[in-house]
This record gives sequence, structure tokens and C-alpha cells, in this order.
Amino acid sequence: MTSSWDDGLPIYQQLADRLAAALLDGNPPEGSAMPSVRALASQFLLNPLTVSRALQALADAGLLENRRGLGLFVVPGARERLRASERERFLSTEWPRLRLRLKRLGIGAQHLSWEDSR
Amino acid sequence: MIPQPLVRAEGLSVRYGARTALQDLSFEIPKGRVVGLLGHNGAGKTTLMKALVGLKTAQGRLQVLGMDPVRERVALLQSACYIPDVATLPRWARVHELIRLMSGLHPRFSAERARELLRRTSVGLDDKVSRLSKGMVAQAHLALVASIDARLMILDEPTLGLDVLSRKAFYEMLIDEWCDGERSVLVSTHQVEEIESLLSDVMMLNEGRLVLSISLEDLDRRFMALGHDPAVADRIAQAHPLLRYRGAAGATALFDGAPPPDIQALGQRVRPSLVDLFVALTRKPELDRRHF
Repeated sequence: MTSSWDDGLPIYQQLADRLAAALLDGNPPEGSAMPSVRALASQFLLNPLTVSRALQALADAGLLENRRGLGLFVVPGARERLRASERERFLSTEWPRLRLRLKRLGIGAQHLSWEDSR
Repeated sequence: MIPQPLVRAEGLSVRYGARTALQDLSFEIPKGRVVGLLGHNGAGKTTLMKALVGLKTAQGRLQVLGMDPVRERVALLQSACYIPDVATLPRWARVHELIRLMSGLHPRFSAERARELLRRTSVGLDDKVSRLSKGMVAQAHLALVASIDARLMILDEPTLGLDVLSRKAFYEMLIDEWCDGERSVLVSTHQVEEIESLLSDVMMLNEGRLVLSISLEDLDRRFMALGHDPAVADRIAQAHPLLRYRGAAGATALFDGAPPPDIQALGQRVRPSLVDLFVALTRKPELDRRHF
């Protein structure tokens, strides 16, 4: 039942990351309403307070806005903002690790295919 | 005005003859919480739940929904419901008969809502209890109890003996149909890992004492787990972790409060799991061979 959460980060943070990944894919699209706390709690089988914390984290990051009486909406420009921060995160933390691993394995640019395997 | 907690206990103790079953418990359960009650067998979980609904007389101060559970038990049970671990539904009854029975017994029971909740399950209104699987009986029981317009639900080992799908269905109904931000649940279970993500708070009982009562939000802040290379285990041990165990990230040390920065730098911070914390607080880790 809990296999979908790893033991790295707090669960609310993992949910926020997942919702952010969905936003990056345009789900839900900019300007649209986010699903309600109850709907998300039900979907992920999570405590509603945990869901609220995750949504609050996304609102604090400027990706969601609260429209009084209507709930949370995806801010216009949220995808671009997310893409920028994800790129920044990749280049500053993931890429150095990946580069190190590629060097260890002796893999150069010429070994890598840019074609989709599907 | 600060809203009244649904449960307020101060210096609560329960004795069975010479034996102390609960000793000096103080805690509060506010509204809108899902509180997990963890403890080994005999730690006092069932006794505490019984005290909360007035089935056990306790010393100390105890208010549930602003009432004295023993003196005002009838009034309390209008707004608090309890499924004991030994709960059974009469085997000869059909589900629609149980709904009629509940309608007659409980002033705040909604037959319409019970039928609506049961539609979510594979339990039919004409089914006899004796023909239902264990998981279906548990769901029918929850549906009946969740159809009471109450503010506090107390569940003692509700999923004991159920298979994994039935347990999931049970908790789905609890989250979807009961948790509305106002009502609270106190649930005891041994399947800690399964319900961890459903909880807002946790209470841990060890030999009748409350060794931890904390929201998961505060727990994330207070306890720190460090995944580390076995090579630095000795240096980590010198910082006096509560427990050292083998987690998903390999060797892990659990600290109450953040250890000094030089110790933190030896490992990577991971989320402490409730199970590990429970083990750390309820038994002497050096006696447990599974943990180094």
C-alpha cells in the first residue's frame, strides 16, 4: 500500500514533486483548477493534511494560486517556471553525478543515442 | 478562540487490580486528525480505547467531546463510535436488516448514507453476514459506523486478519468517506507501514506509558535518520543515535534531534520510518539482533 513512497524525502515533498511533474506535462493545464484535497487524498490514499502541505509547497513555489472560494489554480506561466527550475536542478546537481558516472564507465558523447528508443 | 480538542487526557491511569495497564497519559486529539495508536501486544492500546468510550474507569482527567466518558457515556456515544477488536456482526442477519436495526438504535444513523456507502463495496443489501468474506464484513461494519453522524471514530485493529486488497478498500473508505477535516479517527494497528501515509499523528504506547505523541509534521522535524557508509559506523555510533538499523538506503542511524554537522556530513538524510522509530522507542535496540 505504501510502496509508492520511498524513504528519502517526507511524503508531502514526494507528493509535491509528483504533482509538479504532472504540471510540467500540462496536467492540469495552466489556468485550470487543481483537484481538491479530498480527491487527491483519495487518489493517493494519503492523509488530507499531507495533501494540503504538498499543495501549499507548490503554492509557495509560485506554481498555484488560491482563488477565493474556488480553490487552487495553476498559475499562468507555471510550466515555464517549473521547466526553468528543473533545468537548473538537473544542471547543478544531477549532471555532475551523471558526468562522473559516465566518465567512470568510459562513455562519451559518441556512444549516446538521442533517438527515442520507442 | 482555540477550538476544543475532541479528546483531552491529563494524568490518565488505569489499573487492573495490582497491575497498572496505563500510567500517567497526557495527550490531546484535535479535530480533523487521523491518529495511529501503536504498541506491542499488552501495551495498553485496547484499554486506552475502552477508557475513551467509558468502558473502563480511569484515574486522572479525561474529556471526550467535552464529556466524562463514564458518567455521560450514553450522550457520548451519540457522537463517538467505536469498533472493538472483537467486534462481530450477527451472522444470521442480512445487511438490510442491520441497517434497519441501526436506524432504530442510533438517533444519528443515516440509513440512506449506509446504503450509499455499501454501493461502493461488493456487499449486497440482501447478503447474509455469514456468507460474506472477512474483508466484506469489515467493510460493511465500517460503512454502518461511518453512517453515524459522529465526530470521533475509534478503531481497534480494524484490519486484523484481512488480506491486502480488503485492507486497502477499508482504508480507502475511511479516507474518502470519513475524513472531512472536522472528524477525527484513532486507529490501532500492527501494520504500521501500511497506514503511515494515512496518519496525521502518532501515539506510541510501551508497557502502559505514552512514549511518543506527535504529529507527523513535527516528527519529520524532530527526528533525523542518516543513511551512511558502514565504514563510518563507529563515528556515527559515538554521536549516540537512538537506533542503528539497515534501511532501504543501507546502514541507517536514527537521531532524536539533529546530530552535530560533522556527523550529518558523514551520511545522507533519509525519512525516518515509523516502524524504525517505534522499535527504537519501545525496546532496547541492543537486545534486538535484527538491528546490528
